[in-house]
Amino acid sequence: MIELKNLTKDYGTTLAVNNLTLDVAAGEIYGFIGPNGAGKTTTIRMMGGIIEPTDGSIIIAGIDLKKDPVAAKKIIGFVPDRPFLYEKLTGMEFLIFIADLYNVEAQYLLCRSEELLKQFALWEWADEIIEAYSHGMKQRLIIAAALLHDPKVMVIDEPMVGLDPQAVRMVKDILKGLAAQNVTIFVSTHTLSLAEDLCDRIGVIHKGTLLAQGTVAELNLAAKTGEARLEEVFLTLVREA
Amino acid sequence: MRDNVLTLLRPRLLSAGNGLRSGTQKNRWTRLILFSFIGLVFWIGAFLIFYRVLTYFQSVQDFGDVLAMKLLSMMIITFFTLLLFSSIINSLSHLYLSRDLPLLHSLPVAIKDIFFSRWLGSAFDSSWMVVAFSLPVFLSYGLVYKAGVVFYLIALCAIVCLCLMASAVSSLIVVLGAAMLPAGKIRTLFVILGVLLALLLILVLRMIRPEQLVNPDSFASVVLYLNSMQALNLPYLPTTWITDAVRLALKSEWNNSLLNLALSASCVFSLIFINGMVADAIYFRGFSRAQTTAKRLFSPVKFRGYSWEGLLNFLSRPAKAFAIKEIRSFFRDSTQWPQLFLICALIVVYLYNFSVLPLDRSPIKTVYLQNVFSFLNVGLAAFVLSAIAARFVFPAVSMEGEAFWIIQSAPVSMKTFLWIKFFLYSIPLLILSEILIVASNFLLGVTPFMMFLSVLTIFFLVPAVVALAVGLGACYPDFKSENPALSVTSFGGVLFMLLSFGLIALVIILEAGPVYKIFMARMHGYAFSWIQILWFIFSFTFALFLCVFAVLYPMRLGEINLLKR
Repeated sequence: MIELKNLTKDYGTTLAVNNLTLDVAAGEIYGFIGPNGAGKTTTIRMMGGIIEPTDGSIIIAGIDLKKDPVAAKKIIGFVPDRPFLYEKLTGMEFLIFIADLYNVEAQYLLCRSEELLKQFALWEWADEIIEAYSHGMKQRLIIAAALLHDPKVMVIDEPMVGLDPQAVRMVKDILKGLAAQNVTIFVSTHTLSLAEDLCDRIGVIHKGTLLAQGTVAELNLAAKTGEARLEEVFLTLVREA
Repeated sequence: MRDNVLTLLRPRLLSAGNGLRSGTQKNRWTRLILFSFIGLVFWIGAFLIFYRVLTYFQSVQDFGDVLAMKLLSMMIITFFTLLLFSSIINSLSHLYLSRDLPLLHSLPVAIKDIFFSRWLGSAFDSSWMVVAFSLPVFLSYGLVYKAGVVFYLIALCAIVCLCLMASAVSSLIVVLGAAMLPAGKIRTLFVILGVLLALLLILVLRMIRPEQLVNPDSFASVVLYLNSMQALNLPYLPTTWITDAVRLALKSEWNNSLLNLALSASCVFSLIFINGMVADAIYFRGFSRAQTTAKRLFSPVKFRGYSWEGLLNFLSRPAKAFAIKEIRSFFRDSTQWPQLFLICALIVVYLYNFSVLPLDRSPIKTVYLQNVFSFLNVGLAAFVLSAIAARFVFPAVSMEGEAFWIIQSAPVSMKTFLWIKFFLYSIPLLILSEILIVASNFLLGVTPFMMFLSVLTIFFLVPAVVALAVGLGACYPDFKSENPALSVTSFGGVLFMLLSFGLIALVIILEAGPVYKIFMARMHGYAFSWIQILWFIFSFTFALFLCVFAVLYPMRLGEINLLKR
């Protein structure tokens, strides 16, 4: 469902992502972990169509993001790491705006947005201007907006930042539920316990290069760490890189 | 205290330095040359105009000196009014709305230190331009009155006192206003200010009544007028002290001049002292209230379940979504309001002035004058349009701010995004400009040909200017700016103004020759040669080509630049 082929991003002074190749199957949750500045957000932003790769390609459900970005974006639900929104719109107005851009059917939109707002505990705030929302509420609203058009692929950067434990549990359940419905999820995170708990496979990136990928057991094998927890595996892989 | 204030100012100074160093060396030089050139042109222009006017005044027997001093006094009052309004807006942003304020208030520094560091920043931002452009005025006064070096020193001190005075009064108004207004309504100050500014502008411009200058009957009362002017100065008004300090320095009456300067300086220090006391007592309370969620000034308007959004149903879904988002964000941002009120006031004054032009009493033939005015009116309306576009359209792309990721990740091409912006701004601006042109032409009573030509020229110029603004706004966006509206003073904004003025001037020049010939032929009843007809066709076609080019090329450049980000 997701194919990254020789993906490279060179900012001129920094090679943020170096020849990254990976693929994620339909219904799979793929965790993307790495130290700060490893290239996670750059990769995610390229997958969301926010920045252009210097080289390589991104294929989403068979659509080349470079050749047909509009078609590819229609099936992606993108959640950035920082919840910047149109502060002067209300939560509901923002969802309608997103629905219009993604061409969500008008009748479906109303019940779907109500369902999502209730699910993310934002229903009572639906008619308040986003300016008034807390960081966590904005983050929840972004996730709700990304789900509005029933995407086939979710690309999420640090989904749990700013969320309270209740919301963290809720998001985890939602992501698992989506995967069960064959939605592909590509998630970057610093929370290793989350990756361990949630993801089917995990990729470790460091200095723009993919060091290893696989299940936690496969990563243990690659790092020669026996049956250690992901934290130990991660630290070993990064230290030895 | 002084150390803390300086430390608090350091991030601003360092950021300014880093900002100057950012970009490639070529970019830095281009920016520096462009800004220096524009500044110099304005500076020399202001100097030449004032020097010419003052030299002329000197040649008027008996009244020359009175007129020059009256001009000085009027100018200082104008500077003070401008400074007052600009300082109120700046103080509000610096003291209550800036993004870095929560960080500052979390630091272990006295509230007074935070207040003064912000106040100094605000005073600088609102005053530097007035100081810079008052210098050629004082230089021309100095040269005409053959004043010595001491005059320039006194004038400089006086203008600095004026700026600090205006800034101190403004911050007092803002701090008191913020403490009094209900929490969440602090931004209402912008709206109140906008209404006040608009009313004041209409009042002042109408009180000057420039149309009287072409009315010979009014000259009989000049002596009385001059007498009343001399009696206008109020001795207890701080601006009078400033004016007197400069006026007496011009005449080398040093003792009185220095006394007035001392009065002004003591007024400044007293105001700063009062500001300190007030800030200590209530600034934090106001700041704390400003952290509350901003409340909407007006509730959504619905009529029998229908809202205004239904009016946009003719647009495609993404276009309608963008249009609604843009309109809502715009009108819910109260910082936009003062400018909106100001534009409304300017339009009222603009049209009213046409209605009172005493063309029939001027010594030049009325029909000729009407049509010359009508043609000039096209240029003037286009320049007004440029200014509006610079303020509202150029920052339109930057206004997306940090939320620009939504556009980038949405299934809408960058081209569509830019063209939607283009149409969103083109339509209201086209309607506004055409109303201005038709109404002013109607008031002038121009010929049908001039009416047709003006309407057509504006019809093509508006999209060109809007596309230039959207395109260049996309070429030079600033998504991280706290106030994208200020991007008009950036390199891209200045470039837009220059190109836009250039385009309008070119179109007007291309049309001027043929229009003159056609007009004269109509008046004197002669026919055109085929060379003239070819010239007309070439001029009008080239003007049209320029407008079309100005629509397509900047939009393409903007799209390419946004895709590269």
